[in-house]
Amino acid sequence: MAELTVENLHLRLGGNEILKGVSMGLERGQVVALLGPSGSGKTTLPRAVAGLEQPYAGRITLGGKPVFDADARVDLPAERRSLGLVFQSYALWPHKTVFDNVAYGLKLRGVSREEMRERVQAALNQIGLGQHAERYPHQLSGGQQQRVALARALVYKPPVILLDEPLSNLDAKLREEARAWMRELIVTLHHSALCVTHDQVEAMAIADRILLLNAGTVEQEGSPQEMYGAPRTLFAAEFMGANNRIEGTVAEQRDGYAALAVPLPMDGRTGSRCSGAACAPTGRRAVLPRASCGWNPCAPPTAPARTGWRWTSSPACIWVNGGSTCSTAAR
Amino acid sequence: MPKSWPRVSVILVTALVVLAPLALVLYQSFLNNPFFVPKVQFTLSAYDYVLNDEDFHAAFLNSLMIATGMTAIAVPLGGLLAFLMVRTDLPGRRWLEPLLLLPVFLSPVVLAFGYVVAAGPVGFLSLPAESLFGHVPWDIYSIYGLVLVAGLTHVPHVYLYASSALRGVSSDLEEAARVGGAGPWRVALDVSLPMVMPALLYSGMLVFFLGFELFGLPLVLGDPQGILVMSTYLYKLTNLLGTPSYQLMAVVVVALVFVTFPLVILQRRLLRQAGKYVTLKGKGARQTPLKLGGWKWLALAILGLWLVATVVVPLAGIGLRSVVSTWGRGVTLSDQLTLAHYRDLWQYPNLIRGVLNTLGVGVIGGALSVACYTIISLAAHRWPSGWTRLLDFLVLVPRAMPGLVAGLAILWIFLFVPGLGVLKSTMISVWIAYTVVWLAYGMRLISTALLQVGPELEEGARVAGAGPHRVNMDITIPLIRFGMLGSWLLIFMIFVREYSTGIYLLGPGTEVIGSLLVSLWGTGDIDLISALSVINVAMVGAGLLFVLRLGVRLHG
Repeated sequence: MAELTVENLHLRLGGNEILKGVSMGLERGQVVALLGPSGSGKTTLPRAVAGLEQPYAGRITLGGKPVFDADARVDLPAERRSLGLVFQSYALWPHKTVFDNVAYGLKLRGVSREEMRERVQAALNQIGLGQHAERYPHQLSGGQQQRVALARALVYKPPVILLDEPLSNLDAKLREEARAWMRELIVTLHHSALCVTHDQVEAMAIADRILLLNAGTVEQEGSPQEMYGAPRTLFAAEFMGANNRIEGTVAEQRDGYAALAVPLPMDGRTGSRCSGAACAPTGRRAVLPRASCGWNPCAPPTAPARTGWRWTSSPACIWVNGGSTCSTAAR
Repeated sequence: MPKSWPRVSVILVTALVVLAPLALVLYQSFLNNPFFVPKVQFTLSAYDYVLNDEDFHAAFLNSLMIATGMTAIAVPLGGLLAFLMVRTDLPGRRWLEPLLLLPVFLSPVVLAFGYVVAAGPVGFLSLPAESLFGHVPWDIYSIYGLVLVAGLTHVPHVYLYASSALRGVSSDLEEAARVGGAGPWRVALDVSLPMVMPALLYSGMLVFFLGFELFGLPLVLGDPQGILVMSTYLYKLTNLLGTPSYQLMAVVVVALVFVTFPLVILQRRLLRQAGKYVTLKGKGARQTPLKLGGWKWLALAILGLWLVATVVVPLAGIGLRSVVSTWGRGVTLSDQLTLAHYRDLWQYPNLIRGVLNTLGVGVIGGALSVACYTIISLAAHRWPSGWTRLLDFLVLVPRAMPGLVAGLAILWIFLFVPGLGVLKSTMISVWIAYTVVWLAYGMRLISTALLQVGPELEEGARVAGAGPHRVNMDITIPLIRFGMLGSWLLIFMIFVREYSTGIYLLGPGTEVIGSLLVSLWGTGDIDLISALSVINVAMVGAGLLFVLRLGVRLHG
């Protein structure tokens, strides 16, 4: 059963349409990454789910129970949605110790002193900070703060935790470690998480499914493999891969494939025209939506090529599934 | 919406407390008798009387002239001092800064008394000057003396805004001009000055506005020569006709608010612009001070001269006066040293009560006021709605009412509303008046503290399961407690200093030092006045020491 469903959510902030009808679902034990450029609404969506922003249309259901429904005039305040939220800045309360930070959610739920002590200690041990319970947030490193923020969100076992760019304040090396560690923690504890990120590599590493947002709408949704291997639009292809584009013109259409004529690339260093093969830096491949396109010397493939691209000598043609739009990227 | 009723009710109560006095004054101004007289009638006769009174015209013109004159003195001087303090390597800047701000926290009546005893016709400074020049080369009781004193004592107001604007402007901008080929003074004129122009404009507006509100200085320095300003005209009206001429007073108040309210609105607009060029907040601290070299002696001399004229002379005057039995021509002061004036204070139960009440309204009342300001600020905190815009406007209303006027209006409220009369002769009435008069200032202190609280700290608690009230108690208030403590200290100093608000509320049980000083001035008992003044300054000084000790910023 879906832990979280969002249906056709519309949200306006200061007169700007931020979410223009977003729908999504989150299954139990899953991590869904919200990916998108800045301004796409990727931070606003989890804030709306948490009850911190007010949509004007749509529905949000948590564990089968509507927490927001514009038509039925249901709008549970944030504190009654019982979610976990990890902020980009961690938002650890500076006047509370690590222990008190983590314990606060339990205190609000009227958990007894002993049980609270046990559960907080267990949560702190889990994140490897069992010894630091009496410290204040400013006495911890960035990585430690990030882990405390996660423990604080997990300790009262919310059905869904929301992570707003939880790793973006860590340095590159720490981020890679934290990424693996965080996913493991969430999955082994059977939590469900919605994780905002602007880094496609992070999204692919951490998530079971990726939701790509573009200007307030869902551009594409799918597993990391699908998103990377079969982007449905140029935007998705460019966002998921590196920003190299080869432009061409449709030369021929046959059997649902189109042949693209691609001008020979220019060699950036010598300025002379060169063959495609020579132009591609070593180790780089032309990348097209893999399952659907072929890279062939002007002959339609009998079956869609599954893997790999070969640079061929001129004239270069690219076969694209489904007609005239061609999105190609070289990587 | 049921869930926002606590916020709405706080704002409604604020509206009631703020608007009711003004509404009553407006109502009174159209009556032919005080509102408590049976069978009062609506009439415009009070307007007719006041607006055709030559004294009123003179008072208005004097106010205008003083306001203009003091602005012309305070703005250039305040701007210059701000530049010297913020942007140059002037020695001793760290300990000069609190001294520079000191006049803000000194009671104007105390300063005025200080000038009288130091530089009056037979003052401590005037007599040596007379023997040197053959005559006293200044006249403290003239309008020029008044303008000069008012101008000098309002330099800190300009300094506050100009210095924070200068601090906010990044050094990069100046360095860019230096690299581009401009010398240091050129940069100051072409880059730094235009950057702080909006702040100077705003503070000029503020000083001009304060000029209209001036009461203590013209009462002490202007009155002997019959120089009336708006507020002293109002004060004189109190006993003009034998019976309290409430309707005339109400008209003067209306006229005064008519001038001040547009100024307040204008100030608000200018304040928004004052931060226009503040490119980096907080980070702008990295500034390379301008090397003054030999000029530093001139700079120090300017600063020192201002300090002597504005702080040292009046304070030393009043201090000296409080420990000598007589003064004047042919008196050797060292023979007259005595502590009798302080001992004499103990013989007047009302003066003792005044000292205790002042402490009480400062310490306990200050704490309660900070609590009120905090509750009101929290009611509007992170709540974008029409109600908060209403509150923004409400805060401006008492700002436009000088303390004297607000005290009068609140006294009337106590007389007008049945059942409130019992509070009139208690310190509660004084406390309410003080709280209302300083509403805008207190709210600014608290909201500065609230601005420092990151929204996600509160949102985190909401998501963790805390309701709005719980978030305030567990997160927001603990996070601003240092700001609240600082506000308490500043409010303490302001309340101890306050003199005009309590004047109309003065009675047995509601004595505070400030209003006692004004009423003693009527009797001319300078012995007691000087002793009480010194006690008042000592209280403010104690507050200031705490402020410096705790590192509270004297400005936001």
